[in-house]
Amino acid sequence: MTADRVTVLESPDLTRRRLFALGCASIGAATAGFLLATFRYLVPNVVYEPSRRFDIGPPFAYVPGAATFLPDRRLYIFNGADGFYCISSVCTHLGCNVKRAGPGFECPCHGSRFDENGQVVSGPAPQALAWYALSLSPRNQLIVDLDQVVSPEFRLRV
Amino acid sequence: MRSGVSTSVGQRVLTWLEAVRRSIWRIGWPATDKDRAAAMISSLFLHVHAARVSRHVLKPTYTFALGLIAGILFLVLSVTGLALMLYYVPYPPEAYRSMKDLQFVVTFGIVLRNMHRWSAHAMVFVVFLHMCRVFWTGSYKRPREFNWVVGVLLLLVTLALSFTGYLLPWDQLAFWAITVGTNIAAYAPLVGDQIKYLLLGGHVIGPTTLLRFYVLHCVMLPATMVLLISLHIWRVRKDGLSGGQAQTVPVNEVAGAFPASTKTYGLMALTTRPRVSIEARDANDEVFAWPHLLYRELLVALAVIVAMHVVSLVFMAPLEEIANPTRTPNPAKAPWYFLGLQELVHYSARIGGVIIPTLIVVALLALPYIDRHPAGSGRWFAPERRLANIIFTALVVIAVVLTVIGTLFRGPNWAWVWPWR
Amino acid sequence: MAVEVKNTAPTWLHVAFACLGAAFALIFFWVLLRETTADWRTTQAAFRRLEASVKNPHQLAESARIGGLRQIWLPEIGRVDRCVTCHLGIDDPAFAAAPLPFTSHPGRWLTTHPTDRFGCTTCHDGQGEATDYRNAAHHPQPNVARPMRPTETIDANCGVCHRGLVPPDAPRLAEGRRLIADVGCFSCHEIPGYEGMAFRGPSLDSISYKVRPDWLSGWLKDPKSYLPQSKMGNFRLSSDEIAGLQAFLLTQRAQTPLDSSGIDWNKADTAKGRGLFGELRCVTCHAVNGRGGTMGPELTRIGDKVRRNWLFSYLKDPHRVQPDTPMLRYRLSDEQLRDLTAFLIDEYRSAETGAEPPPATSGDARLIASGQAAFERRGCASCHRVPGVKDPGRIGPSLAGVADRDPDELPYGNNVVRHSTGNYIFLKVLLPDTLGQPSLMPTFGYTPSDAAKIAVALESLRKTDLPASYVVRRPSPTPYQPAGRFGELVTRYRCLSCHSIGGYGGDLSTVPLDRIGSQLQHDYVTTYLLNPGAVRVSIEARMPVFHMLPDEARTIADYFSTVFLDDRMEQYNGTFTPAEAQRGQDLYRQLGCQACHQLGLQGGYVGPELSATGARLKPGWIAAWLTSPETYKPGTLQPDYGLSNTDARALTAYLSTLGRREASAR
Repeated sequence: MTADRVTVLESPDLTRRRLFALGCASIGAATAGFLLATFRYLVPNVVYEPSRRFDIGPPFAYVPGAATFLPDRRLYIFNGADGFYCISSVCTHLGCNVKRAGPGFECPCHGSRFDENGQVVSGPAPQALAWYALSLSPRNQLIVDLDQVVSPEFRLRV
Repeated sequence: MRSGVSTSVGQRVLTWLEAVRRSIWRIGWPATDKDRAAAMISSLFLHVHAARVSRHVLKPTYTFALGLIAGILFLVLSVTGLALMLYYVPYPPEAYRSMKDLQFVVTFGIVLRNMHRWSAHAMVFVVFLHMCRVFWTGSYKRPREFNWVVGVLLLLVTLALSFTGYLLPWDQLAFWAITVGTNIAAYAPLVGDQIKYLLLGGHVIGPTTLLRFYVLHCVMLPATMVLLISLHIWRVRKDGLSGGQAQTVPVNEVAGAFPASTKTYGLMALTTRPRVSIEARDANDEVFAWPHLLYRELLVALAVIVAMHVVSLVFMAPLEEIANPTRTPNPAKAPWYFLGLQELVHYSARIGGVIIPTLIVVALLALPYIDRHPAGSGRWFAPERRLANIIFTALVVIAVVLTVIGTLFRGPNWAWVWPWR
Repeated sequence: MAVEVKNTAPTWLHVAFACLGAAFALIFFWVLLRETTADWRTTQAAFRRLEASVKNPHQLAESARIGGLRQIWLPEIGRVDRCVTCHLGIDDPAFAAAPLPFTSHPGRWLTTHPTDRFGCTTCHDGQGEATDYRNAAHHPQPNVARPMRPTETIDANCGVCHRGLVPPDAPRLAEGRRLIADVGCFSCHEIPGYEGMAFRGPSLDSISYKVRPDWLSGWLKDPKSYLPQSKMGNFRLSSDEIAGLQAFLLTQRAQTPLDSSGIDWNKADTAKGRGLFGELRCVTCHAVNGRGGTMGPELTRIGDKVRRNWLFSYLKDPHRVQPDTPMLRYRLSDEQLRDLTAFLIDEYRSAETGAEPPPATSGDARLIASGQAAFERRGCASCHRVPGVKDPGRIGPSLAGVADRDPDELPYGNNVVRHSTGNYIFLKVLLPDTLGQPSLMPTFGYTPSDAAKIAVALESLRKTDLPASYVVRRPSPTPYQPAGRFGELVTRYRCLSCHSIGGYGGDLSTVPLDRIGSQLQHDYVTTYLLNPGAVRVSIEARMPVFHMLPDEARTIADYFSTVFLDDRMEQYNGTFTPAEAQRGQDLYRQLGCQACHQLGLQGGYVGPELSATGARLKPGWIAAWLTSPETYKPGTLQPDYGLSNTDARALTAYLSTLGRREASAR
């Protein structure tokens, strides 16, 4: 009763095999698709956070030739002779706000020093301070875009 | 010569892969009967099945696979529910906003939400049908009395899951349906108000209520459900399908001991004999679960999933305006499975809301211990059980009629309306 | 025994498997298709194609290249607006000519209300969370409480933040709020924004002396039959109520009129009365036969209404009867008053009206009691004071949050309209008794256009509270009441009924008096107050002849020239050379001033005539006005020629010579 029984298989019917294969392939494809869909589902399409592009006021509000610090945005806005540019004040070491020290910056937490372009001069910071893109809105307001990192050559001529 | 070298490397890789495969799936795709049997009993997931089943089990017209469909729907609900939990926020009014986000912003959010809701309704309906089937085939009789009780408990847990989930969208439909439902519960004598206070987490439906219902819906009730389902299926395995045997099989019973399983693979039964009698089994009547039973189960699962997808893509689950405690829709209706009750409550709150439901539940739970007559199990509408079938069918018809009235024929102020007007 | 066991499944199972498998795969593609062909994706694709063709699209539009859903999240006011997912060019003027939905926003609204602070649905309503056209409720949508508001009523949303009485750039809202203030809806309904305002109809405590009984019943039946612009609505009173009210009111005799027993009415000269009527410029405030002002009631049929003795008494001292009336107290003799009264009663009446009946002596006590009951029940005392009847407070429901009432629970009567609070309010204001429920609210007889404006104003009353940073409330002007002799004169002659000082007062005169002392010469003011002439030929409104005493006029002129000054104008050097005057005369010709201004008998009628300017205006004012007219009178027709200081001085020099000789001869 429990001995291995030699099963007599019917001669494979091509149609049946094809049908079965079709079923398996469809289900496999659909399952793979649904798994990918599930993953895509998990990726948020909108975030409930303050916008990464925001308006920091009109250009004339910034003193020419000087840097203005925006504490709630953690940005230094420079109104240079050749244009506007914007450097993040977030120290790349562990995230403190850097302070101005001469032409450059200094971080009070662990002593990282940066030059006037945000490049690391000394200290534990692993990389330069981020530069963000500035642009002008149709209503002549300065717009900072935290999703667009630019090089230290960036200037916005107004 | 060169090909020999590459073949040998290739072959070694294949052999190595084969070894990896064997460590995971020890049997592999079964080709022999022994493998087919082994595939079932040595797999964690598949050993819920016996290695061989009676041929009669494969007939869909006995059980209509209703229990299986209910189980599959529960699986669908668990998966979709888990996915929805990543976006849903159980705090009003964020709850409503997160529902809107699922509808408008989340990729495939609409489909998942619709699936979850329609599967929930389908599961309540299928569970009800399953109960009817079990009754009409007399499959609650000895030795399956307790499984029937577990089944009734599962029915109640299903209703509770559906009820707790109904509140979560926090729209007008949800809020007022739960208002009606908890007010019906409050009619219970002595403890009615305490029950309502516990359910609501206070005196009004608010953030506390939503949180309670959320935890009940996502953790406590599903855990209970999984436990009860496991017990339920365990029992089915032990007792076998009632319609799966020829009717002349004698029950091996010795006074004081449990009836022994007549299967050779059942390892956990006590017998008073040194050996288990297996003459009752007819080899011609049995087939291997792999592939016969499994293939059919897979098809049922596919059919259910495809059907639920189609329904979810065609019909939008309702989402009304955000819950507004100062504005009662007229009429305010409980979820459809409670509308029969609400119709009764309309006549008398105490009788309709408390006494009759309690009687029904008690009657259902006590049924197998009241109807001790052993005959008639395993066949649909067995003539020996005519009285029982008539009574039950009458009650089912009344319940359906009341539910239909509550759904279609009741309008503002619970006045009679003709639905086609 | 060897048994053949089929371990393969029957064919139909394979068929079912293949079909279901294929169905499953197709379902996946269906799901995928629905996601990828979502409306907003196709719209964004269309935008990218359009962007390429728009010249110099601004950098802001480049953010659309990032793609995906865009939302404006404003947790302070609980809004999530995703309109900008499809309305991609809304903030970029380069897209002004683009097709919808990419058109930029019209007007300057986004400059004053940037989207990152206000979102879109704050002003437009609609379901901001949605990402497709239908669900965004561009049109009414089931289960969306606030579908997008049509532009005709969009002012209502301005009013949610702008709570002052005259919100800028929202004409329908401003007019609606003014109408509410005018009629005094707040007497019966509590209305946010109108707290502390008290509307008082005329006191009825002496009405028995004032009116003819036959007039009173006609008035109660329908006020507009006597006075089309009456603020009192039609209370739809039954004839029993009217009879009762009439009886009750005719018992009100608190204040007897001034003694006119010495008057011989037979000697009344209606011709002189007519002259006085013209001289006193009554039509500036009181219309007759459809022409005239609206500050006071129309006098077309005054003879049907009032008793002669009362009118005499009233004209003699209106402030005795109505302490807060805008009407001034002329200085007239009894004979003049007699003539004027007789003229008014004889001239302005209907043909059918007979002689004045004698005053009623007594009435049916039960009728009077029922009248008093009706008076109280209909809330008459909310607007009219009557001794012995306590203030009933506000008998109407509060209108706070009226815009958020459930539209499905409001009555619409037999009117076939969409169920919305706006429509309900409109119907209620227009026809209060047609909504299928008995109503105490009178029918005010508004035109549909006015009713719509009132509905717009009331639709700004929402339940939800805004954060304080969003609320704009214009401070109401502080009442101006000068002290001393000047103050008494201002009160007697009611200057502030027509003129404003410090933003407080009337606007019948377009000349605020704040710097009048630097504008007009002292002597001219004195002469003018005693005999106001026509300075602007084309304007109908004229200052009345007050019959002021000369020293009263002088007091006023003195006060003007010491208090109502503008320092810069005062410091202007008024000594001119003849050369400047000559240059000014040339400029006068070159600039074509005669097109609008008269010199002698020649010139245009648009502006004031200038032949007496040297005696009338001060040079500092002339120069300031010529240099920048818009500053002093926004919207003036006087062009700004961009004059240099020298040219302005030259013109001023010339104008200051005009009429100087006549003035010095005086």
